[in-house]
Amino acid sequence: MLNYIIRRILYVIPIGFGVTVLVFALVHMAPGDPLSAVVPPDAPEEMVQELRKAYGFDKPLPVQYATWLGRVLVGDLGVSVARGREVVDELRIAVPNTFILAAGGTLLGFTLGATLGGIAGFFQGRWIDKLATSIAITGVSVPHYWLGLVLVIIFSVEMNVLPSFGMGPGGSTAWEWNAEHMRHLVLPIITLAVIPMGLITRTVRATVAEILNQEFVQALHAKGLFQRQVLAHIVRNAAPTTLAVMGLQLGYLLGGSILVETVFQWPGTGSLLNSAIFERDLPLLQGTILVLAMFFVLLNLFVDILQSAIDPRMSRQ
Amino acid sequence: MTTAPALDSKQQAAIDAAQVAVQSRGYWTTVGGRIRDDKVTLVCGFVLLLIVLSAVFSDLIALADPYKANMLKRLAAIGADGYPLGADEMGRDMLTRLLYGGRLSLFMGISPIVIAFAIGGTLGLVAGFLGGRINMAIMRVMDVFYAFPSVLLAVAISGALGAGIGNAIVSLTLVFIPPITRVTESVTTQVRSLDYVEAARASGARSLTIIRVHILSNVLGPVFIYATSLISVSIILASGLSFLGLGTEPPEPEWGLMLNTLRQSIYVNPWVAALPGAMIFFTSLTFNLLSDGLRSAMDVRL
Amino acid sequence: MRSRRQFSLRNLAIRAAAALLLAGTVSAPARAGGTLRVGMTAADIPLSWGQPDQGFEGFRFMGLMLYDGLINWDMSSADKASGLIPGLAESWSVNEADKTKWTFKLRKGVKFHDGSDFDADAVLWNFDRLFDKDAPQYSARMASLVNFRIPSVVYDPATNAKGWKKIDSHTVEFTTKSPDSFFPYQICYILLSSPAQFDAVGGDWNKFSQNPSGTGPWKLTQIVPRERAEFVPFKEHWDETRQPQLDKVVTIPIPDPNARTAALLSGQVDWIEAPAPDAIPRLEERGMVISSNLYPHVWSWHLSRVEGSPWNDIRVRKAANLAIDRDGIVSLLGGYAVKASGHVSPADPWYGTPSFELRYDPDAARALLAEAGFGPDNPVQVKMMISASGSGQMLPLPMNEYMQQNLKEVGIEVEFEVMEWQSLLDRWRAGAKAEQAQGANGINVSYTTQDPYSSFTRFLRCDLHAPSGVNWGYHCDEEIDALLAKASLAFTAEERNEWLAKVHTSEVDKALFLWVVHDVAPRAMTKQVKGFIQARNWFQSLTPVTMD
Repeated sequence: MLNYIIRRILYVIPIGFGVTVLVFALVHMAPGDPLSAVVPPDAPEEMVQELRKAYGFDKPLPVQYATWLGRVLVGDLGVSVARGREVVDELRIAVPNTFILAAGGTLLGFTLGATLGGIAGFFQGRWIDKLATSIAITGVSVPHYWLGLVLVIIFSVEMNVLPSFGMGPGGSTAWEWNAEHMRHLVLPIITLAVIPMGLITRTVRATVAEILNQEFVQALHAKGLFQRQVLAHIVRNAAPTTLAVMGLQLGYLLGGSILVETVFQWPGTGSLLNSAIFERDLPLLQGTILVLAMFFVLLNLFVDILQSAIDPRMSRQ
Repeated sequence: MTTAPALDSKQQAAIDAAQVAVQSRGYWTTVGGRIRDDKVTLVCGFVLLLIVLSAVFSDLIALADPYKANMLKRLAAIGADGYPLGADEMGRDMLTRLLYGGRLSLFMGISPIVIAFAIGGTLGLVAGFLGGRINMAIMRVMDVFYAFPSVLLAVAISGALGAGIGNAIVSLTLVFIPPITRVTESVTTQVRSLDYVEAARASGARSLTIIRVHILSNVLGPVFIYATSLISVSIILASGLSFLGLGTEPPEPEWGLMLNTLRQSIYVNPWVAALPGAMIFFTSLTFNLLSDGLRSAMDVRL
Repeated sequence: MRSRRQFSLRNLAIRAAAALLLAGTVSAPARAGGTLRVGMTAADIPLSWGQPDQGFEGFRFMGLMLYDGLINWDMSSADKASGLIPGLAESWSVNEADKTKWTFKLRKGVKFHDGSDFDADAVLWNFDRLFDKDAPQYSARMASLVNFRIPSVVYDPATNAKGWKKIDSHTVEFTTKSPDSFFPYQICYILLSSPAQFDAVGGDWNKFSQNPSGTGPWKLTQIVPRERAEFVPFKEHWDETRQPQLDKVVTIPIPDPNARTAALLSGQVDWIEAPAPDAIPRLEERGMVISSNLYPHVWSWHLSRVEGSPWNDIRVRKAANLAIDRDGIVSLLGGYAVKASGHVSPADPWYGTPSFELRYDPDAARALLAEAGFGPDNPVQVKMMISASGSGQMLPLPMNEYMQQNLKEVGIEVEFEVMEWQSLLDRWRAGAKAEQAQGANGINVSYTTQDPYSSFTRFLRCDLHAPSGVNWGYHCDEEIDALLAKASLAFTAEERNEWLAKVHTSEVDKALFLWVVHDVAPRAMTKQVKGFIQARNWFQSLTPVTMD
């Protein structure tokens, strides 16, 4: 198993390299001038040329890539063209904000999903199971950006009880543990939680149902030893898969929060991506995508290792 | 080894089904029978058919012109005279635009899956059948794509290429090629190693024949059903790209884009703004229920 | 001052919880009197190092708060067109013998926020910052933001010859490439940063941005990227009439119009820029005050004069101008717009006496088209490039759709190419002949008419087509070129206005654009905001504002 873990960790290196190539290629295959959004509309061409030189966009792409990679390896993601600030500094503000959202969404989704899934599994085939399964499938089918909008319409526009955008009062971009910030968190977290809720409900339901159908559980039941041991058994069996689903969902929510962040104007990586795309801010764009992708790679690694530690059979190949 | 996440239940179901299908000839008959008995799936299939037909024949059904603006009727409320579902920010009939919107939304959601099925299926077959270095090369490239959460990958590619229907389809296709390739590769590898395929190889059958007769027939079905299960995600993502301003461009009717432009009017006419999203939701829900039905019909453990 | 907190049970509970969590720091929005919180349309705080980005909003809520120009805009009146007034220069005059030389007498006793003195050396230093690549304070980014606004000043990169010279400690002489009476209008865009502060932060503009120092009426106390900037009065400001009344101003970037509306309604800000026209009735219903005033802005179709464009026929141009129901468009905008009767409004000293009236007369339009050889079976066909959104574009899609209907009624069929704001600007720069224009016959970019160059010269002078300028449609007319030359040689305001009025008269009579409306810059604020005077200008002053 140790062997597997080491090989698994080493494999992150070529993947990470592949990711840098892909990110760079993606960002630079874009048509249009990387400076067009930065320069005022009636600035003359020579000014644009000069700025292009100042930012190094005049060099051949392989050279630009090598320079960028060299800097990335020492933790320097360059300077945002539009804002003139270090990309690392921008991410230092945005990543924790997105993390709060993603972690909150995953946790809420997990709590609801495990509860619903457990109930559904125990009462297989009954109406309560059907209800829980319907909620689950609704959860995975709902376009969450629309759900967010509907929540805003209900709770902000119509009832005016919860804030509709932002992370805190006065355009706050730094999370604080206080009531005002919490109030801003409610709607985005509910919105983000529906997909993990749906998936975890299904996973937990399937596991619980499977275990309850096993002969020895039926036997335990007959002996009246149902509750504690069965529950422990279920948790032990359901943990690896549920953990994997949760880990992946955390990753998806971290990388995929752009839609929800757009709906709620949440000052995280999604908003950063959005403005980087529309301002054609290449250093910011490639820095943000790279960091999010690397997070996802490492999260997968972590989930894999944890899973193989819990359940050695899972060490694939 | 792979950095890709573990196979999910849909992927596993496809792989299991392929193995059984190879061994038992009556398998697909059983699957068909099960579907006929599953009312929910049948109803969903019917509803979906309605959605698709009403989109395809929207020019026959709809009473108004989806592009015809009427500034006096801007943001008319639901139920306003002549506007059963209200009017959008340009005074265009919402009902009409919702019907027409289905065309682009469905097209942008389904075509990436079709293309990804063709490309990913081929790559997976090649990788699974040839194995060795070619398998290695194909699957490791897929691993790099797997390093991106799907929304991030779609947004990154569309953001780089710029807004437009074509670009959105390209980006979604690239999102769905890796999972389809992976499932096809797993299925092919397993089918290939089954005894009687090995026997055919030993008896000197040519590779192409083996692929055609044994593998294609047994691999494509399950992979196809797996691919259909991706459609609901694809529709949500396609409309999501338009919602971000990275997909369809105005004035085309498309649900995601309509949601985006009407979002500006939630303080004027909130519920009209919510309608296009409801369409995305219903379509995605029926696709999901349908693919769930297909999957449980395919379930080899029952 | 009186506390404005509402004491309800719910609030009390929330506050108690917050107090527990934060061990006493109450972070509920403190609405202490004297703090104004503004929701801007920009996505980020404008650059604070001197020359702002984010267009004119950057000047409004950063540049002109922290800094002064040698010449300032008069923002003290809402009733007349806003003109130039002395800023850091007490007076300026052109040399009678050599009209390329301008003498600027600088104001004495002016201090920067850091306490250092403002003098001629500071002026030279600031110009070097924008032009002289060898100067340690040179910033390519800052230069790119403003140098195009001051095209007349002499600078030769090859010889490093500069058009700015110190005469004595409080006199500076500028040299222009040729005699140019518009020069003062160009000078007012150059904002002066403190050289002493630049040295104090180690010669790093990014550090300077965190602790900027200018001579303006406000000092920056805090700047959090993408979140907020906070300003307090600079008590030692040289102009007593511009001493801020508030204790503090906070600017918050809220690019989404809905979010701005929500922020105002929920009491997170006291003032928002550019509320969506659709949301204005809702805001008024909830007791908000809408401030608006005419300002130098025009929303028009810029027409292509390239060979083969139907707009080359003056009858077609006039017909289009007569076909538009401008009242309808104004009501589409909730009344927050003024019908255009030319490039500038009749209240403007440059309006002149055009005889072509931009009225709504579809019959006259049809007659003109018939005369030009068009008819119901043979409509004029044009292709327009428009954007779905964008700064100053108002409601581009509904407005253009409306015009499309109007034009169709008289026999002009319009096809739109809709694109993102940024791509529209790219194509605007590239000109009508460029491949990107894809044969379009017009482009819809709204314009500022703040100064003579941006109102007239850049669109009308023959040589200012791409890549030298934004005469997008390759318009060329000898009469107008001659009038523009005369105006730029008229060194008294009256004389200059007279020539510019002639330019404008000719421009309207030749129907060179399809003019539609002028924006009135609606901004919404709570009833507590008092004393704001909305000047007829892109820039506004917050100094007279109070909160009660």
